[in-house]
Parts: sequence; C-alpha cells; structure tokens
Amino acid sequence: MIPFDWVEPRSFAEAVASLDPEDPTVRPVAGGTALMLMMKAGVFTPTRLISLAQIEPHYSAITVEKNGALRIGAMATLSALEQSSAVAEHFPVITETLLTLSNVRVRNVACVGGALAHGDPHMDLPPLFAALGAKVLVRGPAGVREIDVDSLYAGYYETMLAKDELIAEVFVPALNGAKSAYMKCTSRSADDWPALGLAVRFEVEGHAHIRNPRLVVSAATEKVTRLTQAEDILKNAEADSVVLKRAGEAAAEEVTLLGDAHGSASYKRELLRVYLARAIRHALAGKSAQ
Amino acid sequence: MSETRTIRFTLNGRSESVAIQPHWNLVELLHHFGLTGARESCGQGLCGVCTVLVDDVAVSGCLYLAVRVDGKKITTVEHLDEGGTLSPVQQAFIECGAFQCGFCTPGFVLMTHQLLARNPDPSDDEIRHYLSGNLCRCAAYPEIVEAVKLAAKLQKQAR
Ligand SMILES: Cc1cc2nc3c(=O)[nH]c(=O)nc-3n(C[C@H](O)[C@H](O)[C@H](O)COP(=O)(O)OP(=O)(O)OC[C@H]3O[C@@H](n4cnc5c(N)ncnc54)[C@H](O)[C@@H]3O)c2cc1C
Ligand code: FES
Ligand code: FES
Repeated sequence: MIPFDWVEPRSFAEAVASLDPEDPTVRPVAGGTALMLMMKAGVFTPTRLISLAQIEPHYSAITVEKNGALRIGAMATLSALEQSSAVAEHFPVITETLLTLSNVRVRNVACVGGALAHGDPHMDLPPLFAALGAKVLVRGPAGVREIDVDSLYAGYYETMLAKDELIAEVFVPALNGAKSAYMKCTSRSADDWPALGLAVRFEVEGHAHIRNPRLVVSAATEKVTRLTQAEDILKNAEADSVVLKRAGEAAAEEVTLLGDAHGSASYKRELLRVYLARAIRHALAGKSAQ
Repeated sequence: MSETRTIRFTLNGRSESVAIQPHWNLVELLHHFGLTGARESCGQGLCGVCTVLVDDVAVSGCLYLAVRVDGKKITTVEHLDEGGTLSPVQQAFIECGAFQCGFCTPGFVLMTHQLLARNPDPSDDEIRHYLSGNLCRCAAYPEIVEAVKLAAKLQKQAR
C-alpha cells in the first residue's frame, strides 16, 4: 500500500474539523476493515486518514431507552452490538442478523458507523436499519442533522453524507410489538455476498392484519431501496397467500434489479417474489432471521 | 507527509517500541519482530491465517493497521506455550491430528482459545459457526471440531 498520514483526534469535534470537504483522499476510519480492502485493491488511495478510535468513549455506547428505542454510538463494534443482552431482548432481529454478518474477527473490529457509511448495497445492516425506521445522527461543521437510513444512500457506494460530516449515532425506534425479519439469499458465488437482501417491519392487528409495513430490498439493487408499491398492497390487508403473491409481484416490478455474478436480473426477480412472502411469514411466526 | 511514527505496545508480555510506517499492517509489524505464526494468506479477512489478539480480542492482522496497536497488548500464537508447556488447545490439536500441512493451525488455535474463553462448553454447531471465518485448505474440519471439544474437556479438568 502507498504511504499516507494518520491522524488520531481525541474528540469527535476535532475529528470533524480534520476532515476536508473537497478532498476525497482524506477519509475517516472506524474499524478500517472496508477501507483496508479498498486500499489493498488500489481503488482507494488516501493521503490522510482520520482515525475515530480515540474519540470520546460515549460514541461506542449502546443504550436501550425506557420506551424500548435503541441508540447505538457510531463507534460501537458489531461484536458489542451482537453481544448486547438488551439488544437481544428488544431487537432479536438485530442480534440474529449480526450472527450471519461476516466472521468473528471482522465483527470485533468493524463499527456500526462504518457499516452504514460504506454504502455497499450487499451489506446487511443498512437494509435492516432502513426497515426498522432508524435514523442516523450526523454532525458536520454546520451542525447536526438527521437522515433516515432508508434515504441515506445516493447510489452504489454513495451516501448522502458530505465529506466533512460524520455519523455520530444511530437511533432505532422501539419495536413495540412490531414484527421484523431480515433474510438474505446467497447463491454461493466465490465472494459469498448475497444475491438478495430483504428486510421487513410491520405491525399486526388480530391474526395477520398488516399495519404500517416497511419493506426494504438490498444487494440486488444499486442501493438500499424501499418497496413502496408492495407496501401499499400489504397496508391494512390480511397477509394471506393471495395478498403476499400480489405484493411479491409488485415488488419485482417496481425496482430495477441488477444481474451480476450472484445471479441474473430475472433470477433475482424470482428471488424477490419468493423471499417477500417468506420474510413476512418468518416475521409473523416470530422467526426473524434465517 | 507520511513520516514514520513510533508506537509502544506490549508484545507477548514484553514492552516494545518501534518506528513504523502508517501503512504497515499488523502482520508486517509482527514479521519485523521475527514472529511468523500470523501470516497473510487471503489478505481479505476471510481465512484467519493472520489471526492476532489485540487487547485479548481476535482480529485479522491483514486488515488491521499497525498504528492502531499503539498502547495496546498484542498476543500471538507464539505466546501460548509460554513457560514451555503447550496450552490445552494446542495439546488437543496434536492429540486429534487436527491438521495436515499446519498452515491454518495458528489461526484455528487462537480462535479456539477465544471461543472457549466465551463459551467453555460449545456444541458442534457453535464451534462450526464461531470458526466459520477460518479456512483449512486440507479440510481437517472434522478433526478440528473434535480438537475443540477435547480442548474444552482438558480446560475443564485443569480448573
Ligand atoms: C471478510 C469480510 C466479510 C464481510 N462480510 C460481510 C457480511 O457478510 N455482511 C455485511 O454486511 N458486511 C460484510 N463485510 C463488510 C463489513 O461489514 C464492513 O467492512 C464493515 O462494516 C465496515 O466497518 P468499519 O468500521 O471497518 O469501516 P471502515 O473501513 O473504517 O469505514 C468504512 C467507510 O465508512 C466511513 N466511515 C466510518 N465511520 C464513519 C462515521 N462515523 N461517519 C462517517 N463515515 C464513516 C469510512 O470513511 C469508509 O468510507 C465484510 C467484510 C469483510 C472484510
Ligand atoms: S490473511 Fe487475513 S484473514 Fe486471510
Ligand atoms: S492443515 Fe493445511 S490448511 Fe489446514
């Protein structure tokens, strides 16, 4: 790898001030797992890296509030999130998703902020957090703003974050009995990235009356994407097989699915149709991940 | 730009200080100290051959910049037989023949230490899941799972 400068600010504010809004070769680094891969592959050549490892410890905190909402500091590691008993109790879907994310050593090092800011559409936490209605709290020189995770992504490896903005925290609203599931389908390609990711969250009335559904597709699309037309079909409907089939078909029509080494576009269309019903049924059965 | 930096850390129980380039990874740092138990194989975080413990947490040395260990404690596979006796995990790997060429063994041994520290009595599924980030080209997987179970037993007896 090519040499670069390494800066280790002691505070979040100092880290923001060290960023450069114009220079794409200056980047923040959290766990560095994604950046190291890009640097080794030669697709990213930094001149300066701003390490967030020494900023104030509360940026690594994981807190479930009294009302059941979850706050995760951007520097919390994926392992810390996976091992949090409060998270397992209130958001089992998050714990189960983490168990299928990468491997122990990557989770020990990678941070939640890095997992959300990287912008690779094949990753697991962005679609899940988007379905859960999570927001990121972002701080830049002009102050603080909130971005819904479902609108955080501008394109393939592109986010709405300015180059001098940092994610400080993720806020996940309480589930309050809502059902949720995340499923991914891996077609055994050499890189093991999924062909499709699908996250769902909805409330249920009575036996299977669906309220406020949020459906999010990933991996097969250029970026994490809400399936609004499928949501409209499920809204206030009974999740029987006819409705689920219609929702699956609407989902497969409303987004552009990309063919690649993980499968052709038409294969992924078929996957989306099938997985949509499967994820809803999993969530209804209280089984959240596969 | 990109001057060398001096970092201080504990390496297998000894205090060290060394001037490094910011782009060195942890495997390169260890090779500088003549430690070759951790090696770079896939270089992408997938295979576990580069496993190192930083503050008692397993990391992939190939994806971990050496500058990050400033002020931290590094433990490598070379430290496990400190005092001249093999650890129960090492003994179990030998007993079960849990390797053929041995290339992957340091990583599996360190990860097994981590697993048993968290979960002293893991099931076959838990073992397979925890070690899924370690690859063995000789496919000694059945023997490795046996070795982890034997190590768990040996550790319990030693207590
Ligand atoms: C072997 C391997 C397997 C993997 N498998 C999976 C998998 O199965 N599922 C999955 O979802 N992912 C997987 N990943 C990807 C992994 O989740 C990411 O590498 C990791 O989450 C990135 O986190 P990090 O802290 O290391 O980020 P870094 O590499 O430090 O940063 C990533 C990006 O985020 C930016 N950034 C970091 N923190 C902030 C912040 N607070 N504010 C703004 N920008 C920030 C950086 O500038 C960089 O652009 C895998 C990775 C590896 C190496
Ligand atoms: S060399 Fe680091 S995980 Fe393979
Ligand atoms: S023993 Fe040869 S790679 Fe595992």
